[in-house]
Amino acid sequence: MAINPYDTPRGKFHARAETTRRQFLLLMGGLGALGASIFGGVQLLKFMFPAATNDAPQQFKTTFTFDDLTGGVTADGKPKVGATVRSITADRVSVVVDDGGIYAVFLVCTHLGCTPNYVTNVTGGSGVADAVAEGRGNRTGAEKIPNGWACPCHGSRYFIDSTNFYGPAPRPMDWVDISVAPDGYFVVDRGAIVVYRQPGQTTVPEWRLLLTSKKSNDKKLGVS
Amino acid sequence: MSATPRESNPVRAFMSEVWGSIFRHGLPTTDKVAARTALTNFFLHIHPVRVKRSAIRVSYTLCLGGLSFFLFILLTITGLFLMFYYIPSVDQAYQNIKDLEFVATFGLIIRNMHRWAAHAMVITVWLHMARVFYQGAYKPPRQFNWAIGTLLLLTTLLLSFSGYLLPWDQLAVWAITVGTNMAKYAPIAGPYTRYLLLGGRNVAQGALIRFYVLHVIALPLIGFLLMVVHFWRVRKDGFTGGL
Repeated sequence: MAINPYDTPRGKFHARAETTRRQFLLLMGGLGALGASIFGGVQLLKFMFPAATNDAPQQFKTTFTFDDLTGGVTADGKPKVGATVRSITADRVSVVVDDGGIYAVFLVCTHLGCTPNYVTNVTGGSGVADAVAEGRGNRTGAEKIPNGWACPCHGSRYFIDSTNFYGPAPRPMDWVDISVAPDGYFVVDRGAIVVYRQPGQTTVPEWRLLLTSKKSNDKKLGVS
Repeated sequence: MSATPRESNPVRAFMSEVWGSIFRHGLPTTDKVAARTALTNFFLHIHPVRVKRSAIRVSYTLCLGGLSFFLFILLTITGLFLMFYYIPSVDQAYQNIKDLEFVATFGLIIRNMHRWAAHAMVITVWLHMARVFYQGAYKPPRQFNWAIGTLLLLTTLLLSFSGYLLPWDQLAVWAITVGTNMAKYAPIAGPYTRYLLLGGRNVAQGALIRFYVLHVIALPLIGFLLMVVHFWRVRKDGFTGGL
């Protein structure tokens, strides 16, 4: 009955062992098509990751000058207006002045990225004593204490040195680079983080834009 | 064929031929014709020709799947109307919503129908899933349809999430900021997922157009295809007819 040679016992063995030319070509062609599809698909995925975005520039200039903010510097190197805070909510930065100098806090809540609001009673209702808030930073003068930031989304709160002390925020907010341009206005660079603290790191950072020299003291924290 | 094959009036003859070409059955006066009606009509063939009386008890399914589908149809129609006014641009989106509410005739009711139906659909889909779970209706032979159902739940939630950004008000922007930052917490893929969703680093124009495209085309299409499979499996797996 074995009209087909592969139908014999010997033929059946060879049919298993040998691949016909058609099978081989199908396999190779199939693998080639599969590989090309996977490669092409992965490459096409790049289309969905824009190489350039229309996000606002990281660097921006403030609408107030060094003298607007500090009222000038006293003979012993302190701001004439005392400690003060100026928030630029649209650009998500607060500029803080204390006796040691000026720093800029990047107002991005470390919990889920909302913009915390500046408040002058940051400890209210949190069970944290006002004295704890007063100990943050080197301040004398007109500034209302205890001040800091409270996030409207889930209620995280930060002291004036941006250390978190209440709510779900896992770590302090970052400080970004601030400098004085030749025309007296501040330049804030949100792309240059000068203080990055880990969860539980509550030390008051020492980075400041010095009032007398108008240069930073370059005491960065947590960044190289 | 109900149409008389020979008709002396040519207009009536033409009309009966048209009728006969569309409807391959007469009025469902007998069980046999009723069965053929259901079988040969595209819109009716979703129904089984015969079901057990106990299987069509309202208290058996509470009609939750049907309600979800009804809401999906309602959302598709009202959404289509909204698309005539809404432009997914950060400069115009919020104003378009205001126009819909205060300028367009019936705009307020269409927008609110869309909004409330969306909330209701999340609830009905969730309750539908709970009903299936508590009745054990996910057990063999319906495991595959349960899996399709979970994907439909996910699609519903993503539709709800993507639609949330479109009014472009404070609630929308910060809800999506929070939502995409949650995605960022995922290991390794997290930051890429956020960048992919937003088309940038912040919730801005790139995010609005992406969420719009997902909301009006991609996700409804996925949902529709999944629903086709879901309903087909419901029919093929049959009804147990009560517990």
